[in-house]
Amino acid sequence: MSEPHDRRAAITGIGVVAPNGTSTDTFWKATQEGLSVLDRVTREGCEHLPLKVAGEVRGFDPAATIEERFLVQTDRFTHFAMAAADFALDDARLGQADATEAPYSIGVVTAAGSGGGAFGQRELQQLWSKGSRFVGPYQSIAWFYAASTGQISIRRKFKGPCSVVASDEAGGLDALAHAARAVRRGTDVIVAGSTEAPLAPYSVVCQLGYDELSTVADPSRAYRPFTEDACGFVPAEGGAMLVVEAETAARERGADIRAHLAGHAATFTGASRWAESREGLAQAIRGALAEADCAPEEVDVVFADALGVPEADRAEALAIADVLGAHGRRVPVTAPKTGTGRGYCAAPVLDTAAAVLALEHGLIPPTPGVVAVCHDLDLVTGRARPAELRTALILSRGLMGSNSALVVRHGAVG
Amino acid sequence: MSDRITVEELSELMKKAAGVTVSAEELQQRYDSGFDALGVDSLGLLGIVGELENRHGAPMPTDAERSRTPRQFLDLVNSALPAGA
Repeated sequence: MSEPHDRRAAITGIGVVAPNGTSTDTFWKATQEGLSVLDRVTREGCEHLPLKVAGEVRGFDPAATIEERFLVQTDRFTHFAMAAADFALDDARLGQADATEAPYSIGVVTAAGSGGGAFGQRELQQLWSKGSRFVGPYQSIAWFYAASTGQISIRRKFKGPCSVVASDEAGGLDALAHAARAVRRGTDVIVAGSTEAPLAPYSVVCQLGYDELSTVADPSRAYRPFTEDACGFVPAEGGAMLVVEAETAARERGADIRAHLAGHAATFTGASRWAESREGLAQAIRGALAEADCAPEEVDVVFADALGVPEADRAEALAIADVLGAHGRRVPVTAPKTGTGRGYCAAPVLDTAAAVLALEHGLIPPTPGVVAVCHDLDLVTGRARPAELRTALILSRGLMGSNSALVVRHGAVG
Repeated sequence: MSDRITVEELSELMKKAAGVTVSAEELQQRYDSGFDALGVDSLGLLGIVGELENRHGAPMPTDAERSRTPRQFLDLVNSALPAGA
């Protein structure tokens, strides 16, 4: 990221499959309008579980874009990933011909929190109800959290460096940073991001042990970070994939530089130790700003982690103030994920997509459902706020203790 | 069951286990094409073998999942089934 100018990592494509939109256009429209799509969990087998509200992706037909032979061997989280990767590559105007011509110049990096829960559950049910001979061989790969990276690269015939980042929810941002490093080391294009599908019965049961999970049944009250009524977070499925490309390679082929991945840093402060996350997050922000060579006053908007747990919200607000100083009380902060839920590793990638779109449109999307903020933050609520935006700071923390910060700059900024 | 495994059944299993749609007629014409060219990977073929074993209640030859073509595959699995209906 502090690479020589010509190996700078640019974002040239965005692909979104989110609860509030299964294309980048519909996602941005819903995000800037501040629509909340949080709703009762309708997934079969989840009806009687204590998790009542989530951000489900509805109206997504994987068969419309993905070949059946890839569908039978993959879980829903990989369906999202393959579709989002297609959208991002189309957006970047990279076609199959580019991969055929230079397969080693394109790689894939994804992050995933839990892998293919629904697929795994189905096969385990076969195992216990009928026996091992009835477990399909694709079980060996489909529920593995690395499946999406593998399947995207196989399907699109990419032979460049491929990897999977396993570093908690903040891994979504770490995957983008990893992509930027791969670009710096010489790969032209990395398709990077995260998608998750944690709304199957087995996966939901796994999450019930999290103290931070909101089990409030009213969608309008279930996820309200930075307020007195904060009661935890609402989970979500879906996510986003981005095309991260060497600026030179992008310019050579005449692609639009939508934004630069300018700086990133990550720290670790321990599972659910939210008070300690203040220092960890602050340190990540400092590292990201330093790498981006960005002064605190240059940050024009902050996309908050917004966990929705009072102690965690306080730690985040203080971390922003610790690093940005007086500017921390003036800089607009937003958390559009209150309208979609928090898709684990996918959440900060969707935030990054929203940040790039915000920079392009000069519009800060609001924080749906949040009204009375009880921290010293200028949280954008109600409606989108027009602003001249050059630099966005995206924050993410994981339940297991990872903290990460990413600085994204507008494509037109030198 | 001791019926011979037909090209129709293979076509059906390719769809079910590997998500690959090739009609029985087309499969007959592409009898000597590689499974890879038909879009069936090694795990897909393993799944087809597993389905056949469950349906026929009999183990298939150990090399079945290494068959390269539909012809090789059908010759091999049918040689292992008891002859006659």
